[in-house]
Amino acid sequence: MRAPAAALRDWTGGEPRLVLTVCARCGNHWYLPREHCPVCGSDDTDELVAAGAGLCVAVTHVHVTTEAGAAPVWLTLVELDEGPVVMGRASEGLAPGDRARVSFLPDGDGLVPSFTREDDR
Amino acid sequence: MSALLSGVGLTAFGKQPGPDSVEWQCAAADLALADAGLDPLEIDTVITGYSTVSPHLMPANVFAERFGLRPATAFGMNVGGATGLAMLANAARLVEAKSATHVLVVAGENRATGQSREASTRTLAQVGHPTYEVPLGANIPAYYALLASQYLWSHGLGPEALAELPVQMRAHASRRLGAQFQKPITVADVLASKPIAEPLRLLDCCPVSDGGAAFVISRAATSDRSLTIAGTGQAHRHQHLSALEPGSTGAGTAAQRALAEADVTWEDVDVFGIYDSFSITLALLVEELGLVPPGRAGAYVRAGAFEVDGRFPTNTHGGLMSYGHCGVGGGMAHLVEVATQLRHERGASQVAGCDVGYVHADGGVLSAHVGVVLRRRGR
Ligand SMILES: [Zn+2]
Repeated sequence: MRAPAAALRDWTGGEPRLVLTVCARCGNHWYLPREHCPVCGSDDTDELVAAGAGLCVAVTHVHVTTEAGAAPVWLTLVELDEGPVVMGRASEGLAPGDRARVSFLPDGDGLVPSFTREDDR
Repeated sequence: MSALLSGVGLTAFGKQPGPDSVEWQCAAADLALADAGLDPLEIDTVITGYSTVSPHLMPANVFAERFGLRPATAFGMNVGGATGLAMLANAARLVEAKSATHVLVVAGENRATGQSREASTRTLAQVGHPTYEVPLGANIPAYYALLASQYLWSHGLGPEALAELPVQMRAHASRRLGAQFQKPITVADVLASKPIAEPLRLLDCCPVSDGGAAFVISRAATSDRSLTIAGTGQAHRHQHLSALEPGSTGAGTAAQRALAEADVTWEDVDVFGIYDSFSITLALLVEELGLVPPGRAGAYVRAGAFEVDGRFPTNTHGGLMSYGHCGVGGGMAHLVEVATQLRHERGASQVAGCDVGYVHADGGVLSAHVGVVLRRRGR
């Protein structure tokens, strides 16, 4: 089993990167922390730092926020070139079908991933 | 041996200030017991859904004490919007195993008037991942909006395709007593309504409501109005949107398990109750179930397929989008409506000659799925 303390830190721990997990037995890839591969049940896994680019498959402009009066936020789902789909903030203008690349923006005490159209860079 | 659905109860949904959650539960339970023709003391098992307004460690005990029951077995359940049907599935298993004689399943909540909209949105945001999703500013409408964006883009559709679904739900609700919203709407009304999480607009989203619903599940029929719970099926493949496998959310798996247990196919099913928290929820569910080809839900609805006299009469009470959504009870209203249809008691909106019904609920972000096949006895 992957000891959580030994896991590579990612943006949720202040490191500006997306970390994926790869199952050493069946090759399945995933994004959120899991102890076992949901396809084959193995706990023999490796971590992989994502290159940070992929295909934008969804964008929403969220007007209803949990904090009253908070500004609307753009969110996206990006299918990374490594396979898994990752949620992030989106820069305005990013649309499904665009190539997208991640950067990390300060937010409160931490970082959040934010995706921009690749040809805008 | 199959368990029987002997009683159903459904209050009106809407903004109805006054009763608290347990009082809505009691109101719905009274209706279900009267419908089953049972005395409260004949109930030996109570299963209760959660309330977001009044969260409690022991919701079934709180309800049972207040209602005036001392059941042999009592417990609460939490699988989001699928909780109502999951409670029914577990009640059916208890009855089939002869561990229960009459099970009362109940839920109710003053979700519309018991808390602020911000508090409600914040509680429901728990459906998202606390470190990977919620800090981005995501909430339930945002998760479904992302699914809607992906759906529209991948099928080359505009938002009017999804707008057909709330229009149909409203048409059904206009003919159903107790529905929260009854004034007919058009596709143009949906597209002009306030943006919530684009591409979803206000009329693509269910409201929050005050109300309650209850079922009685029994080992033997209590009258000739009792229905057979012919099959149940579940699937639980992920919690968070970031772990959802597109096209294989578990909806189809749960449905196939329920159909197989009932030994029926879609050809045999006459009337449907399909969870519709958002327009996109209903579109994705009917497509993954295999009722409608991918990307075609809006076109099918526009052609009348979900109407009372269509091929797939669906949510003839108006669904969550127009009958309303009081939490766990919201997903139970679909089953009450299908039961009413199968008893041939739906009056002017009766689906002609229906014998078999299918009800499907999902919780979270298409995370927890429960399907139920109901059948008229002797058919
Ligand atoms: Zn594996």
